[in-house]
Amino acid sequence: MSAGASESKPANHHHLRRNPPIVGEAEAIAAAQAGDERAFETLYALHKRRVYSLCLRMLGNVAAAEDLTQDAFLQLYRKIGTFRGDSAFSTWLHRLAVNVVLMHLRKKGLPQISLEEALEPSQDDGPRKDFGGRDLQLSGSIDRVTLERAIEDLPPGYRLVFVLHDVEGYEHNEIADMLSCSIGNSKSQLHKARMKLRDLLRTGQRKETAV
Amino acid sequence: MTRTRPGELTLGKTIMTCADFQDRLPELFELKADLSADEHLRTCENCAALVRDLEYIAQQAKLLLPIHEPSPTVWDRISTAMRNEQGSQGGSSKPPVPPPAGR
Repeated sequence: MSAGASESKPANHHHLRRNPPIVGEAEAIAAAQAGDERAFETLYALHKRRVYSLCLRMLGNVAAAEDLTQDAFLQLYRKIGTFRGDSAFSTWLHRLAVNVVLMHLRKKGLPQISLEEALEPSQDDGPRKDFGGRDLQLSGSIDRVTLERAIEDLPPGYRLVFVLHDVEGYEHNEIADMLSCSIGNSKSQLHKARMKLRDLLRTGQRKETAV
Repeated sequence: MTRTRPGELTLGKTIMTCADFQDRLPELFELKADLSADEHLRTCENCAALVRDLEYIAQQAKLLLPIHEPSPTVWDRISTAMRNEQGSQGGSSKPPVPPPAGR
């Protein structure tokens, strides 16, 4: 799954917050491709928060997230010559960063070794149908920190798809491309992730109520 | 308003069960369908609460856009590594271009 292997078409969707036109980005890319370190630093400044936030959310550890951010941008340095502009640069870079994260997860031997496994946690972890127990309602009750913690507790495969889609605003076709999975798989994982999050958040609320 | 229990049948009319509805839910969300008029949701408080919660989670997630920032040392390390790689290429400042990978 190489970052430059298959660029998806630019997404035509409502998540404009993800890929707004960035003044000067195209020039910086061209200059960085020609070896201008200042231009590369500009690209780093433009995209470091998004790449780092992805790494931090996936690893939950500042030192490891910084290491992977470094790895991702070094990969960018090595591969920027292959960027052709077929997709948004941020999408292309994000795909590269996702690869770095997945490689790291595999090296660490975390529960999900292969990507397919990462995207298919055990069935026991899947969402169950909700046929009752409406004692708690989430609306209006979750703060940012609580949600971030609950996301950290998701299995990595669910977490990655949830972060890419619901937090970062990528479309399923882009996620499928980044993760080399089917669009249906991405959709299914997202739904399971949201259901799992709801479970986690409701369980947290119950604990708080019980105290 | 008549409330049905999950999975229940109403008189003379088969209604969608909670399981059926929840199976369709990913697709409904994906289509960004207006669920306020959904027949099942109008009569099933449980699924209505589920939809509200899932919509709320998705809505709150959008507020989590990147706010985290790596420490300044990360760029220092990247910059150093880039220079080391340049040095190992005989001083060329141009990034190495890997061979095309099946493109």
